[in-house]
Amino acid sequence: MLLPGFYDFCCRVRIVSGQNALEKIPAMLKKMKAHTPLVVTDKGVVGAGLVDVVRDAVGKELEIVNVFDNVPVDSDYKIVDEVAKIYRQKNCDSIIAIGGGSVIDTAKGANIVASLGGETLLDYEGFSAVKRKLNPLVVIPTTAGTGSEMTLVAVIADPDRKIKMLFVSYFILPDLAVLDPRMTKTLPDFLTASTAMDAMTHACEAYYCLEKNPLSDSFAMRAIKIISENLLKVVKNPADMEGRLALANASTMAGVAFSNSMVGLVHNLGHTIGAICHVPHGTAMSILLPYGMEYNMHRCGEIIGEILLPLAGPEVYAQTNKKERPEKVVELIRKMNNDLYEATGGRHSRYLNEITDKNGAQVVPESLLPVIAQATMQDGARMANPEECLPADAMLVLEHAWQGKPLDRSKVNKGGTKVKY
Amino acid sequence: MNINKYPEIHPGKKLFKRVYVAIMLWTVGKAIQVAAKVDKEVKEELAKLPDNFTLRMMVAPEKAFPLFFYAKTLPAFVVDKGLLFYGIQMILHKDKEGKIKYLGADPKGKKIDLNIVFKNIEAAWMVLSFQESTATAYMHDRFVVEGDLVHSLTFVRVLDIVEIFLLPKIIAKLAVKRYPKWAEMSPLRKFVKRVVIYIRAYTF
Ligand SMILES: [Fe+2]
Repeated sequence: MLLPGFYDFCCRVRIVSGQNALEKIPAMLKKMKAHTPLVVTDKGVVGAGLVDVVRDAVGKELEIVNVFDNVPVDSDYKIVDEVAKIYRQKNCDSIIAIGGGSVIDTAKGANIVASLGGETLLDYEGFSAVKRKLNPLVVIPTTAGTGSEMTLVAVIADPDRKIKMLFVSYFILPDLAVLDPRMTKTLPDFLTASTAMDAMTHACEAYYCLEKNPLSDSFAMRAIKIISENLLKVVKNPADMEGRLALANASTMAGVAFSNSMVGLVHNLGHTIGAICHVPHGTAMSILLPYGMEYNMHRCGEIIGEILLPLAGPEVYAQTNKKERPEKVVELIRKMNNDLYEATGGRHSRYLNEITDKNGAQVVPESLLPVIAQATMQDGARMANPEECLPADAMLVLEHAWQGKPLDRSKVNKGGTKVKY
Repeated sequence: MNINKYPEIHPGKKLFKRVYVAIMLWTVGKAIQVAAKVDKEVKEELAKLPDNFTLRMMVAPEKAFPLFFYAKTLPAFVVDKGLLFYGIQMILHKDKEGKIKYLGADPKGKKIDLNIVFKNIEAAWMVLSFQESTATAYMHDRFVVEGDLVHSLTFVRVLDIVEIFLLPKIIAKLAVKRYPKWAEMSPLRKFVKRVVIYIRAYTF
């Protein structure tokens, strides 16, 4: 086993998981001495009736009257300030976030302002501005993928300066994460597929990137196993509540894993494609994951090969020659994408040129690839990737991922020493 | 417990490491200033930083150490006033025209936009004696970054290129994630830049 020279690991979020997990919220809030929560969510969640599901579940024990449902897809600090203002006006003492990544980040930001005082989130910019315990924050994820309920980061945009502000502090971590399959039941099949592949990417990258450590490894391995066993089943049968709960668990575990190690090339490229072409994060992840593994294979092939055990089970693992395991892993991830493509009637994209918007127009034009390749240098995920990735390297990966052919590994620039974890 | 059995710790014990780190930071600072003039890739990379930008790389804590006593025996360039008063620092400034200048070790009166702080002298020693690559050091929390993370990515990349220029392959390989092959960077460019940077860094 690999023991790094140094690592740090922290996971202090309480997790409740189960078919009736939502019902536990009132008692848990009471324990945190909170009685008047502000629900932060978006229009989509309300439209899908999920706030009502929560309302019914908590029953009379906790009355949900204060609801802010105006969180946009790309939330910014003005929304955060607005939420904090309402929080104070209504005399709330806690936040319940119901939604995906954007809602959870907004709630984390609003909790900073609401707990620490002040008018705006901008006062708390920087690395160590949040220095004490915040008010109770409960997170109910409605997608099984982002893992934001377990991360100590909140990413919030500043549209005036056109930047994304990063808030990092252990105090930002939610106090409670509630995993209940009722919350992901209405998710369309192609979103179930892509968000789960995001979680898969978190687990895989946490496992082979530079900040890997034994604790995050164990979370990652189990998350991979759960996703590979359940994802296709749930996509084919959306009413499979047990499978949905399993995916929600896997996503949370993958969140713990990558929050305590780091992600690499796949997220580096994915963030950039997302910023430039507005490709949904999960879609970019599903497409790029096999390429990220291929790109790093000469540096840490053995470690990537270990992923075969949770991905395919002990029989396949034992039957596969050690040298062939990493390639087998890539092959299986590609097969998974293909199966999902078929199960969703083509709505799960496998290559970059396959992504289309609502009107059927291409989202990532080939002409933008050089721009994307240059911009990858500005994303923090490049640090933890085992192999160096300069614009020319990113271009190589992007071209292959665009056309949908496996990466020609003989073209990958080599020349590093053994990876030190 | 017999306290006399325990060896006395002398503050001067780490002097060698401190002097070494100070010289390395000075060299790196000067080298970046020169490389920004003579190398296209470094120039392009540094162009990503905003103008009027001050960057500092330092070893915590920010305090003078008894280097005074050795001042006479040290080469002149190490005995920077800032070094004596504020400890080991390296300050780089990008001005309005985009020119990069090494400003020594005196932070007084300067607004630092990006601060890269080695947590202690041991951490700086590990990195600057190339026992640990920049990436590994980052993973092992050897330094903290205060300021915009994106700018620190630019700086790390510049540091990597300059190290490739300055160091022989066998050492540079330990410092960077990937040592460039022929196709990525020609030996001629490496060699010419190495000579130019060394000469200009130590003469101007
Ligand atoms: Fe992700």
